[in-house]
Amino acid sequence: MNSSNADLKRRQRFDRVVSVLHKDLYRYAAWLCRDPGIAEEVVQESLFRAWKSLDALREDGAAKSWLLTIVRRENARYFERKRLETVDIDSLTPGQSAMLAETEDPNVDEMREALYRLGDDYREPLVLQVLMGHSTKEIAELMGIKPGAVLTRLHRARIKLKKAVAKEAMA
Amino acid sequence: MIASGKIMNCDNYREAIAADPSESFEGGAAHAAVCESCSAYRAELQALDLTIARALAIDVPELTIPDLPPIGEEDGNVVNLPFRRVSKITTPAWIGIAASFALAAVIGVQFAGNGPSNDQLLAAAVLAHLDHEPWALQITNVAVTEEQFARAVNPGIGTMDRNIGLISFARSCIINGRIIPHLVLQGEHGPVTLLLMPDEMVSAPVTLLGENVNGVIMPVGDGSIAIVGVREERIEELKQRVVDSVEWSI
Repeated sequence: MNSSNADLKRRQRFDRVVSVLHKDLYRYAAWLCRDPGIAEEVVQESLFRAWKSLDALREDGAAKSWLLTIVRRENARYFERKRLETVDIDSLTPGQSAMLAETEDPNVDEMREALYRLGDDYREPLVLQVLMGHSTKEIAELMGIKPGAVLTRLHRARIKLKKAVAKEAMA
Repeated sequence: MIASGKIMNCDNYREAIAADPSESFEGGAAHAAVCESCSAYRAELQALDLTIARALAIDVPELTIPDLPPIGEEDGNVVNLPFRRVSKITTPAWIGIAASFALAAVIGVQFAGNGPSNDQLLAAAVLAHLDHEPWALQITNVAVTEEQFARAVNPGIGTMDRNIGLISFARSCIINGRIIPHLVLQGEHGPVTLLLMPDEMVSAPVTLLGENVNGVIMPVGDGSIAIVGVREERIEELKQRVVDSVEWSI
């Protein structure tokens, strides 16, 4: 296979993987950083890195975990570089507010706000389980914690969310 | 967390179902079948999960692929340093930079294939050296004296045009058992380390990529020059200037 043919095949493989997983990557990034603008930057940088190390991906079936790991690292890098502080929900930027834009269902709006307020340690495993369909073991590997810790966080996350939406309904 | 191999009690079940509403854990279904209250709790959590899933599914902007560089030969000589989170350090800036090098040295360089090549071994030696002299990486506008510079870049090594920028550190150091000039140039985004290694050949430019490290080891004649700055430093623009400023002694 000549060089240009190999380049073309590489690019086709990259496009195929990214087009399937793009939504997951963006949503994961957005819920990690809670800012749509930053999420786009993180995803762009992640795609750039993924392209450069695409040969490390042996099977396309493993692409999702591989890319989510890259996004997670890029997000951490971004915050290390910018030294950003925790987001205060009462003083959101327009970009951050866009994440909480109202839908047709007030229950979803309440839940979205509760998720936004949820601590990072609880929100991330929930996103990986509910949105990405990851198993406890996969979440543990991605986050670098024990499966037991994942289960504890997931349990607590749901209890917190349940309380938060119940409180909102009472108000 | 879960009582394996047994029918669970209500507390165990509720804890487990809140962690996994799909009830894929052992003993869950058996408990819910005989406990009306827990069965209702399961339904409540499964409904909650549907709302969570809908809330998490935010709108996604149109996909834009960044400019992707061609994967050329130089990319085959990249030394990728695995990412590690650096603990937050607020002051002073150079300590943060030094910590990056320290991490790079601790975690080492990832070697692929049939063991490390000479280029990769040299890259590892360069990073390890930076780890040992973090005090050299200060942001300053004070240049070393002519005397200090001349002691480091002595005629036995070669000559270097000092007009390439502000040199804030100059010392003789040892890499792979050989004495070499270790200089620090004040770059656009922070200190940039230059290691002039007249006896260390590399087969092609070796790119050093780390969380906060951006550098290259450039082949120069029979030797090489390591140029290492912070991630944001534009090494591409700097490297030719540095290479052109150096002439080895025969």
